[in-house]
Amino acid sequence: MKLEIKTISEKETEYIEIGCHKIDDRVNEIVQFVKQRQGSIDAFKDEKMYKILIADILYVESVDDRTFIYLAEECYESRKRLYEFESVLPTRQFARISKAVIVNLMKISYIKPALNGRFLCRLKNGEQVIISRKYVPDIKEKLKR
Amino acid sequence: MKERIKTLAGNFFISVTLINLAMLILGKLLRPDQQFGYEVFVYPLIYGIIGMIPALFVNGNKELTLKQAVIKEIAQMTMTVVVIVAFMFAGQPLTHEVVISAAGVALSVVIVYCLVVLIGWLIDLKTAVVLTEDLKHFQEESRE
Repeated sequence: MKLEIKTISEKETEYIEIGCHKIDDRVNEIVQFVKQRQGSIDAFKDEKMYKILIADILYVESVDDRTFIYLAEECYESRKRLYEFESVLPTRQFARISKAVIVNLMKISYIKPALNGRFLCRLKNGEQVIISRKYVPDIKEKLKR
Repeated sequence: MKERIKTLAGNFFISVTLINLAMLILGKLLRPDQQFGYEVFVYPLIYGIIGMIPALFVNGNKELTLKQAVIKEIAQMTMTVVVIVAFMFAGQPLTHEVVISAAGVALSVVIVYCLVVLIGWLIDLKTAVVLTEDLKHFQEESRE
């Protein structure tokens, strides 16, 4: 496999691009490695601890003083409070969308209006989460940057 | 709080415009020969303010599910109908004409209320389209 590295300006977002004939185990391994480099978080499911890759998180929700991490198909619990996630997760990629939810902006398919001045965002796994009107200006600002 | 005031103010001005329209249509239908003084210009504002009263009580900071939000809107609309009809017809004898007028007003309030919600939703739809476009650009730039 040919390896190419090029330097880009500070203004541009750093990226890794893979050119391959097909997505096989070898490519998936590289993807997993890159995701791991972006960080991971400890989470629990059935009293077992797991390392969750930050890039795989769809959203984090706080329900009755408990915090849950949602991936495409699984849900884990975390001992961290929601406000602690705000400092742990990459601020560019994640945004607070309501009092109880932080969402991964990379995992949103589209946004549509709901009743009462709120919005619904449809995630890539088909789930929908509510965006409170209060947080809309912050999200707009974040997406414009 | 700031966002809530903005929403209420937006709804108020949409309501006032639609109440003007409702008064014109209802007046033409029920009392086409009625004469008014300049004070008539203040009525849409008064009805607009009265219509906002239930929103002040029903609206809270609690984040509702979609089902709860729909129930809340229906409750708020019913309260608005009751408050406006009570304000306009309280103390009047219950004649056939008053009942018809009250029914017309109640129907108008329901229509105005639904239109206010619809116009608000259409404004939000525009915002949602812009947000989705910005989101697509953001995702492309960030390259997952």
